[in-house]
Amino acid sequence: MKIRRKYLFYLLAFSSSIIVALISGLDVVLGKYIKNPLVFGLSIFYFGLLTSILFTLFLSISFKGKSIGERTIDPSFKKIRLLKKEELKYHILAGTGNAILTLGYFWLLILIKDPSLVLPFSQVVILYLVVIESIIEKNTPTLVEIQSSVIVTLGAILGSISLSGTISLESFAIVFLIVNPGWVLQSVYQRKLKMMKINDKSNDSINIRMWNVIFACLFTLVFVFFYDYYTGSSNFSESLKTFVDYFGLLTLAGIGAFFSYVFYIRALGIGKASITQAVKSSVIIFSIPISIALAYFGFIDPISTDPVLIIIRVSGIILMLLGIISFALTLIKAYIFIKMKPGYPIEVTMQKLWDINGVNRVTAVAGDYDFIVKIRTRTLVKGYERILRKIASIEGIKDYKWQSVLKEWEDI
Amino acid sequence: MISAYILIHISPGSTDKVITELRKIENIAKISVVAGEFDIVVRVQVKTLERLLKATDKIQMIKGVNKTTTQVIEKEISL
Repeated sequence: MKIRRKYLFYLLAFSSSIIVALISGLDVVLGKYIKNPLVFGLSIFYFGLLTSILFTLFLSISFKGKSIGERTIDPSFKKIRLLKKEELKYHILAGTGNAILTLGYFWLLILIKDPSLVLPFSQVVILYLVVIESIIEKNTPTLVEIQSSVIVTLGAILGSISLSGTISLESFAIVFLIVNPGWVLQSVYQRKLKMMKINDKSNDSINIRMWNVIFACLFTLVFVFFYDYYTGSSNFSESLKTFVDYFGLLTLAGIGAFFSYVFYIRALGIGKASITQAVKSSVIIFSIPISIALAYFGFIDPISTDPVLIIIRVSGIILMLLGIISFALTLIKAYIFIKMKPGYPIEVTMQKLWDINGVNRVTAVAGDYDFIVKIRTRTLVKGYERILRKIASIEGIKDYKWQSVLKEWEDI
Repeated sequence: MISAYILIHISPGSTDKVITELRKIENIAKISVVAGEFDIVVRVQVKTLERLLKATDKIQMIKGVNKTTTQVIEKEISL
């Protein structure tokens, strides 16, 4: 089945958000019974590890020459596999990011008990991502990207504001200095992993997620061992007890987390990390019906019907949607077909083309043309000023043709 | 794995029908409708040259396709 690339991206990112919203509801229910947040977090991690491995094994089952995972979730997936040497560095960094993010989240839980007061601010992570991408992805952020990121961020903050909520400076510091940088580290390196070629095929999101959980769990366990050793606490043994006591609910949370991440990583392979994050921040919209249901069943305090709060929340949601739509509508893609004069080495020209900002893919081909270059830009002016003029100035280029992409489908 | 771009010229007014048929063909990883000298750019991923020939053949059999040019990928750098 082929689906428009843009729709596939939104389908994946929104599915991931909906699952995260459902898990957050489940976390609230579990939090009623498991009072120690560190134990709670660790036991969720065990389930994450267990379900990731079991699901990856299940998705590896082959049926008529294709595995279940390849047919249903990610066409790049074949079966569960060991890490390649070249992936190790990125997995260590992404795993460290996940561990830092998770520990920061637990720390917040211990500190303020109610993560819903702080989590909206973690949406600011997209601003970090726009800056990081401009450095490592050789793509200067445009005004539209900066504007949209700011709009989505402000919308996310307003959309989930709590009028009675107070916030401490310490919590802010944890969000901005620990949780968000951890999330950035994880997103950026998971995207790097998704973009890698393994045995000449795209890397798959299912194995990336499984190995990310393995590394993150390992790093977190090491931290908890040291924490228990120095403070004399017994978080580790308590977490094992919780693992047995709340098997059912924790399994659901583990399965949900696995699929939300697999969808998120696949979306990361299509869109930039900042845009994926912007779409994912819609979790705040999807969490509203979950909150209403939780309040109805008495798990959280009744939702305020204060008109001021409602106006603020609705304004936030509208801002978020506007930001996301402006991200979606302003991406311009094009192919540039290039013919070369004889006597210029292919490798050198390829590198020169690759060094141009906005160039996503450089392909050396045999046929009428010598190179096919794929570009992504936010404005045609930028496409001309920063890309086409630079291509025209490369020595040895005889002729080039710009073909704007009007619509695109991708096999899923 | 062999990858190739197939550049397609089609008859005016046949874009939707050609796209519908292209979406049914196996081994096509991506279909881009473009504005310029060509009308559609397709990216094909196949295991053998024989299969590339079959894919090209299927594309040429589609009503509305006037001409195809196949560009086999020799080397690639991408994000």
